Amino acid sequence: MPQPLPHPSGPGGDAEAGAVFAALADPTRRHLVAVLGAGGGATATGLAAELPISRQAVAKHLATLGRAGLVSQSRRGRESLFELDPRPLADAAAWLTTVGGEWDGRLADLQKLLDR
Amino acid sequence: MTLPRSERGPAVEQAATGRVSRSVELDAAPAEVWDALTEEALLTEWLADEVEIEAEPGGEIVCRYADGEERRGEVELVEEAERLAWSWRREGGSQPSRVELVLDAVAERTRLTVIETAPLRAAGPLLLAGTWGAPLARLRTAVRLVLA
Repeated sequence: MPQPLPHPSGPGGDAEAGAVFAALADPTRRHLVAVLGAGGGATATGLAAELPISRQAVAKHLATLGRAGLVSQSRRGRESLFELDPRPLADAAAWLTTVGGEWDGRLADLQKLLDR
Repeated sequence: MTLPRSERGPAVEQAATGRVSRSVELDAAPAEVWDALTEEALLTEWLADEVEIEAEPGGEIVCRYADGEERRGEVELVEEAERLAWSWRREGGSQPSRVELVLDAVAERTRLTVIETAPLRAAGPLLLAGTWGAPLARLRTAVRLVLA
C-alpha cells in the first residue's frame, strides 16, 4: 500500500499547488516526474541509473517531490518503490488554467475600454 | 543530461514555476494605459466589479466581484507608466499570488504584459475543488500542461 512521504510542514495529504510548482522548478525533478510518469514505479537505484546523478541526489529530489505530494513510496523487498501521484499536477494545472483564463477575460475588457 | 524537447522553452519554465503570462498590444499610449491600471473608476471596467486601490508601495488593493468573491492585497511596486505590481489573495486563501504589469511603448501604442506568480506555499483554499476526482484522461492532460 503506497504511503505518502512524510510531510514536515503539516499534516500530509493536501497537496499544495505552490509546493508543486516549487518542486517542478528544478529540471532534474521534472525529468524524474516524466520518467516515473512514463514507466510506472521505480527504485532510487533504478532512477539513478537513468540520470547522471548519484543515488543520494535522486533520493533527495524524490523527498522534495514527496513533500509536494507528487511521489508516493512503498516497500519493494529491501528497497523503496517510488510512484508518481499525478493528482497534485491536476491542481497545479487547474491553477494555471484558471488564472490564465481570468487574465484573458480581463485583458479583453481592458482592450475594449481603451479602444472606445 | 538531455531533456526531451517538450521540456524546453520559456513557456515550460513558466508553467513549471507557477507563472501565468499574457501580453496584449493596446491602442493607447502608456500614460493612458497607466490611468486604466491605477484609477478606480477605470479599473472597475476590466479588473473587478468594485476596485479600491492606493497606487503607492504598501497601499491597499481590494477587488470585489458580482459573485461575492473578494480579493485583498498590497501594492508592491509603482513605476509610473512603466510597471505596477501587487500581491493579492482570495478571501480565505492563506498565501498571496503576485501580479506584475509591465508597459512597453510600441510606436503610439502600448504592449502590456501581465505575469501572475503562484504563491510558493499555497494552502488548501488555492486548490480548486473537484480536480481530485478527475478521470485519468484529465490527469494526463494536466501532466502534459504542467510539464508540457
